[in-house]
Amino acid sequence: MVEKQFTGHLKGRVAVVTGGCGGIGQAICSRFHSEGAHVIAADIASLPASLKGLVRYFKHDVTSEQSAQDLMTFVGQEFGQLDVLVNAAGIEIEKTIEETTLDEWQRIFAINVTGTFLTSKYGVPLMRKNGAGSIINFGSYDGFIADPGLAAYCATKGAVHALTKAMACDYGKENIRVNAICPGYVATPMLESFFGDSGDIESLKQEVRDIHPLRRYGTPDDMANLVNWLAGDEARYASGALWVLDGGLSAQVQQMRL
Amino acid sequence: MQLSGKVALVTGGRQGIGAAIVERFVQEGATVITCGRGERPADMAVNIDWVQTDVSCSKQVAELKNWILSNYGSLDILVNNAGVQIEKTIVDTTDDDWEMLMGANARGIFNTIRSLLPMMSMGGSIINMGSVSGVNADPGLALYNASKAFVHGLTRSVAVDHGPKVRCNAICPGWIMTAMADSAFAVAKDEVAAKKDALARHPIGRFGVPSDIANMALWLASEESRFVTGQMFTVDGGLTAASPLNPGLF
Repeated sequence: MVEKQFTGHLKGRVAVVTGGCGGIGQAICSRFHSEGAHVIAADIASLPASLKGLVRYFKHDVTSEQSAQDLMTFVGQEFGQLDVLVNAAGIEIEKTIEETTLDEWQRIFAINVTGTFLTSKYGVPLMRKNGAGSIINFGSYDGFIADPGLAAYCATKGAVHALTKAMACDYGKENIRVNAICPGYVATPMLESFFGDSGDIESLKQEVRDIHPLRRYGTPDDMANLVNWLAGDEARYASGALWVLDGGLSAQVQQMRL
Repeated sequence: MQLSGKVALVTGGRQGIGAAIVERFVQEGATVITCGRGERPADMAVNIDWVQTDVSCSKQVAELKNWILSNYGSLDILVNNAGVQIEKTIVDTTDDDWEMLMGANARGIFNTIRSLLPMMSMGGSIINMGSVSGVNADPGLALYNASKAFVHGLTRSVAVDHGPKVRCNAICPGWIMTAMADSAFAVAKDEVAAKKDALARHPIGRFGVPSDIANMALWLASEESRFVTGQMFTVDGGLTAASPLNPGLF
């Protein structure tokens, strides 16, 4: 594999990444840092060793309006601006609607949807002050087509897709772009948990891998590559779009095993 | 009788989905003309008109138009059902394959709509046979997939250019049990296991049957759908609502 060339295209930019300590979030924080950005990892989980010294950390509960306000006050005071906001915080609940309790339903919506709403709501004024900004939300290919037993998760991702377009419409004239990336199967702890309930995990993983036209799972770096592009000026005309990044998985009709 | 007094042409009505649409339209009171490349099927009911036509040939389609004009004077419903499938990747596809497949699936509907639309009655309905494969790819069906995407695109154009004279919609069937589906299963390593697997991928719990598609064709032909145009209607038992991955099956 070719060594990644960093161009510093986010030099001097200030970027907040919610869920920045999770599987994909870490890769985004690390890439933004390599590209010259000042990065704030905003997460309810603590900062992993891999990011220590590279990014600032802010303990952030995305479901709390106060936490969103405090986060943006912190960013304003410490950096004076916000250029990039990545709403990567999210959880998954592996249940059908009958199995899902009302509390679980409200919790996943609070994190995946309300979290995106609140952090953006208080991030936009800082971007406006700056005259430009790029918001990158986390949708999912599950926002378009369903995986079995993930009902509430699928619904939250569909909501994020619609919210992404709505925000893009409202803030485009202020040069604030809003996009969503829609990952497929990415090798993260969330995916491990998804496989965790199955019996023969290794053969399952192989089967799932082989259904992908690219014959592999995505990596957090694959996601960070696209987020990085959307964050920068190369993407200056990209807004309101849902960027599917799934190794070709959803380009197919269901694959009968012929 | 939702179609009484209507004159309908259904291309490719010899077998499968086409035959089911012909049968249903007749039940609903329509006068039905159908066509195919071969002779009139021996078992075809006498009240159905058969006009031997290769829709890929514009000259033959012009003759079909003249036949309908002189026998009925106009046309209310056009169902572009005729189509073929070739199970090949693009690398294996020959020029002859292209001629045959694109001739039937793409040039065929171009020929019939171009020729017949001017004689259609005000408020007529054109129904094209698209496919779920025109939206997402089925492996090893490269030209077929592409030809169905052509059908979807032309459906929108006809709806936009020729409303309100006609409405134009497409149906996107999933796996319908016809000779075409049988040939796909025939190449499976283990036909029984393949069918079992395929079945499990349908939330409705069964494969489609031709009458499932005929039901939608009837609705699109009828006045019930009078505000509907330029759209694709997926009738697939839920197949494409689910991810291509279905870990529950493994």
